[in-house]
Amino acid sequence: MAVLEEGRGGLRASDADREQAIEILKAAFVRDRLARAEFEARVGQALASRTHAGLAAATDGIPGRLTADQPPGMPARVREQRTQREMSQGELAQALGVSRQTVISIENGRYLPSLPLAFTIARLFDLTVDTMFGPDQQKAGPR
Amino acid sequence: MMRFIRPRLRKPLLGGIAYLGIAAAWAIGSPTWGLAIVIAVVAVGQTVAWYAWTGEDTDESALLGSRADERQKQVGQRARALAGAVALAAAYVGLVITLAVKRADAWPFAVMLAVTGFAYLLGLSSYGSGEPASEDEVTAGHQTRSPVNS
Repeated sequence: MAVLEEGRGGLRASDADREQAIEILKAAFVRDRLARAEFEARVGQALASRTHAGLAAATDGIPGRLTADQPPGMPARVREQRTQREMSQGELAQALGVSRQTVISIENGRYLPSLPLAFTIARLFDLTVDTMFGPDQQKAGPR
Repeated sequence: MMRFIRPRLRKPLLGGIAYLGIAAAWAIGSPTWGLAIVIAVVAVGQTVAWYAWTGEDTDESALLGSRADERQKQVGQRARALAGAVALAAAYVGLVITLAVKRADAWPFAVMLAVTGFAYLLGLSSYGSGEPASEDEVTAGHQTRSPVNS
């Protein structure tokens, strides 16, 4: 936890970050991955979170969860879209023509894809680049 | 030439050839061939080992096997930039130390320093935009339309 606090985890979370965390919790709830009581408890925790570390704790253990050092938005959406389609990281890598390590790096926010790769990712998920990678987009709607 | 060699084999083969060059130099410059033969055997072993390594699922093996994606190429470029910076620093330290002890054989370090410095400048000119400083398009009479000023 100390490591999280030293990195992005200690930074204050915005309302948009909290909304994104709640969207992840909602997605897990509707897929029956969270019981109602736990969902409500976690939403309460997310709403009360003041830092990224708090949001990471609220989404802990959920596919596509936020991590404390992960920039909100793009990486979470890539993982979210992949898990929604029940693709493995290797399958996504093969579809994109990149290595599995690169998919992992993108999902963890350690690597920002080039513009051509961003277009390829967006097309694969049938989304626009803006929807997929725009910093202010919180919901990934269909193209 | 390289097009006829499988991409996976190119870098392992180049590494082996580099070792064989050292073995040949030793064989030419030394009265005994023993070490040259040992180096040649190591070169062959290294080529085989590197080739086997290219089959693994790691960044390093992707770079070695000439099948790196955009992120892995970036990793390779950063690693080469680090190696270049370290080589430059090592050449500088070597030059300073040899000059301080008043050794006459400081010239290899000076050559390394000059070559790496020149390579840096060559890289700047090769990979820079190379566009000459010209008049702004709008002021030159080419009115460009953009969403901002339209």
